[in-house]
Amino acid sequence: MTKETDYRTEVTPVWCPGCGGFPLLSSLTRTALPDLGIPRHQTLIVSGIGCSSRIPGYVDTYGFNSLHGRAVLIAQGAKLANPELTVVAIGGDGDFFSIGAGHLPHAVRRNVNITCIMVNNFVYALTKGQTSPTTPFLQRGEGPFLSLENYPPVDPVLDMVSYSVSTRASFIAQGIASDVSHLSWLIEEAVKHKGFSFINVLTPCVTFEPPQFFKTIREKASYLKEGEPVELPDSSGQQPWLHDPSNITLALELAQTPVLEKPHIGIIFRGRSV
Amino acid sequence: MRDRLTIGIAGTGGDGVVVLGSLLQRLAASQGYFGQMPRYYGPQIRGGASGLKLSLDTTRASLPADTVDIMVCFNWEKYAELRQELPLGTDSIVFYDNAPPEEGISLPEKSFQVGFSEISKELTGKTSAKNIVVLGLLERILALPESLSDSATVHDSALALLERNGPALDAGKRLLPEFAFAELKLSPPKDATPRTVLHGNSAAAQGAIRAGCRTFFGYPITPASEIMEEMQERLNHGNGVFLQAEDEIAAVGLAIGASLTGAKSMTATTGPGLDLMTEMMGLASSAEIPLVIVDVQRCGPATGIPSKSEQSDLNHAIYGGHGDAPRVVLAAYSVKGCYRLAIESFNISEYYQTPVILLTDQRLGQATVATNSDFLTKDYSIARRKRPDGEHREQYRRYELTEDHISPVASAGDEGFIYQTTGLTHNEKGRPSFDFATNQRMHEKRWQKLAPLRDRDELVKLFGKEESGRGIVAYGSSAQFVLETVEDLGLEGQVKVCVPELIHPLPRRLISFVGSLERLLIVEMSHSGQLHRYLRSEVDLPSDTKSYARAGGAAFSREELAGPITELAR
Repeated sequence: MTKETDYRTEVTPVWCPGCGGFPLLSSLTRTALPDLGIPRHQTLIVSGIGCSSRIPGYVDTYGFNSLHGRAVLIAQGAKLANPELTVVAIGGDGDFFSIGAGHLPHAVRRNVNITCIMVNNFVYALTKGQTSPTTPFLQRGEGPFLSLENYPPVDPVLDMVSYSVSTRASFIAQGIASDVSHLSWLIEEAVKHKGFSFINVLTPCVTFEPPQFFKTIREKASYLKEGEPVELPDSSGQQPWLHDPSNITLALELAQTPVLEKPHIGIIFRGRSV
Repeated sequence: MRDRLTIGIAGTGGDGVVVLGSLLQRLAASQGYFGQMPRYYGPQIRGGASGLKLSLDTTRASLPADTVDIMVCFNWEKYAELRQELPLGTDSIVFYDNAPPEEGISLPEKSFQVGFSEISKELTGKTSAKNIVVLGLLERILALPESLSDSATVHDSALALLERNGPALDAGKRLLPEFAFAELKLSPPKDATPRTVLHGNSAAAQGAIRAGCRTFFGYPITPASEIMEEMQERLNHGNGVFLQAEDEIAAVGLAIGASLTGAKSMTATTGPGLDLMTEMMGLASSAEIPLVIVDVQRCGPATGIPSKSEQSDLNHAIYGGHGDAPRVVLAAYSVKGCYRLAIESFNISEYYQTPVILLTDQRLGQATVATNSDFLTKDYSIARRKRPDGEHREQYRRYELTEDHISPVASAGDEGFIYQTTGLTHNEKGRPSFDFATNQRMHEKRWQKLAPLRDRDELVKLFGKEESGRGIVAYGSSAQFVLETVEDLGLEGQVKVCVPELIHPLPRRLISFVGSLERLLIVEMSHSGQLHRYLRSEVDLPSDTKSYARAGGAAFSREELAGPITELAR
């Protein structure tokens, strides 16, 4: 059968050592794609512009590193024209949630059967450290985030998971780059889901974030298991409930949990396959 | 007896102006008459001014005359908004429903108030059949064959409406004895073959279908929406993929995605939409992805006048976007051309792996034309992408440098030819490249592959005598006005005309044409003279070169063009 090496091109990634792109690349090429057993030539990976968007060049399927913010368009066009293809759109938080944010609700409502993986490192890294829509917003005086002492974010975070839930994407999950095997499983589930699937991957940026930032996320990460009680942050006054990914109302509750307080890892919502 | 004449109709939305014009045009076309029907409308969503001109011609689809022979007016207030486009001549015969205002409109001698609304009300209880009463009268004045409405070839809702309103039609016919203008009778058509009636937008859509386009992505915009609507109609029943996107960036992005899988895909828009598509045009040029964009030009800049023609997207089509991104620009000048060049756009786009922009304009896109249908059924060659074969298997290089600079292209999904591509500068394998020599080579490849197009002589139409030293260059709908004006002035012997359908890369035949002249006139509907500037930048123009260029809005008139053309011939 297909081996991991079949899925890697000879190209060396441009990423920094320790970049969150590597675990994603591994989960795709070592596990998810081989496990799914979809022939390489029937797979298309489309990306936008950003650190993570370099990934199509490293995966030996059909690939297109396209324009900033537009991967999800090209992915949908390809899938519509050739439904036999498995199509995955990959990009960063700036890509999907800033410049390309306007396309997402439309991809959601069309529910074209593609998988969208947002590599969320909370910062514009390719352009060297500017704020993104997901950069945590801290009050002045609380201490700055990232290396942005002089210009901390002034706008609140756009919460991509809440957004996806509120627009009713048919599959919404959150993964973490520090857990490759779980991330691989999520990708496989997302690809197998028939309909638009969205995975937010919490990812470190080793260059533009203080090390404790991702460390905190990793330590607080809480895995969602169907039928088991969800963990809620201390700030929540609610009683934990049993996780039910088919319940959109509960999914919205989960999605609204501040990611720095309690990052929920797992399938947040799984609607009916089309 | 007349071989051609022009009818004008004006009113408010709801008066049935367009229904009347369309019925008359189609009924006449079913008997073998040719003609054109440009429509004039204002910015109102409903209830605004609505007008049209309709030419009926026994031999060819000629343009309507500057001033109308017959004018039908349902509403003088709305007519006033359209008078720039529907001027009355002193010889025009005018029929009107209500008395004109005391000031502002001076009616020609032969003007008649006819109670179309009253007649309609008497017969049907409503005034809404007044347009059908007019139709009855006009059928008789023009002496169109008696059984006209029965013999129409296509039956649809408009004809059904006519059938329901038989009494109104007959009442109109009975008005004839009061208005028997023998001089307005139409001669019988050259032959009684039914003519087909369509506008350029429909022709472009049908041409795309003919070329094999089965994936279309669009966004509504005046005056291009009819292309989207027709593609929706044709692709929506399991015949292909149609999608109305969230904006023009999405429309072109979806089209590029579809094209990656080997599908012939298209989008259609006008100036503001083309602006939004510009970044994707550069991507398609760089990554060599076939893509067809139809731009039905309208008045710019910014929002401009959405419902009126202009030819001011030329710069954008040729040069728009950052970097050096070659693309092909075609321009149709007739409805038939819209069809044929839509096919040609796909042929070029697929074969050369390049974005193609097909320029038309509002006039061409929305004026319905009654013409021979042979162009719909004749054979057209259909080009395909150059595909990789066995020898490329497993060592496939997507951007392999070849003699003709065209690399075999696999479709996403093809086995054995997997590749990754990018809008980054890339090497033959499609790998991102930081190598400056590679950057240079890839630019050369993308530009040089288009060079053979410059010898496509058939994409440059020449009219008149080769030995003439006086010539005109015009493209798009303006070319029709130039050609007819030259003919009306009887100057075909002195003045030759060149109508390029291939604009970029610049065809050699156009260069030779210009080179053969002592005196050149360039006619275009662009305030800054974009075609003139483009030609000047690429060719040594005769020292005696004049540009007749103005902003869009009103169509060119023969009277207007007679000045510069007579001057050229002098």
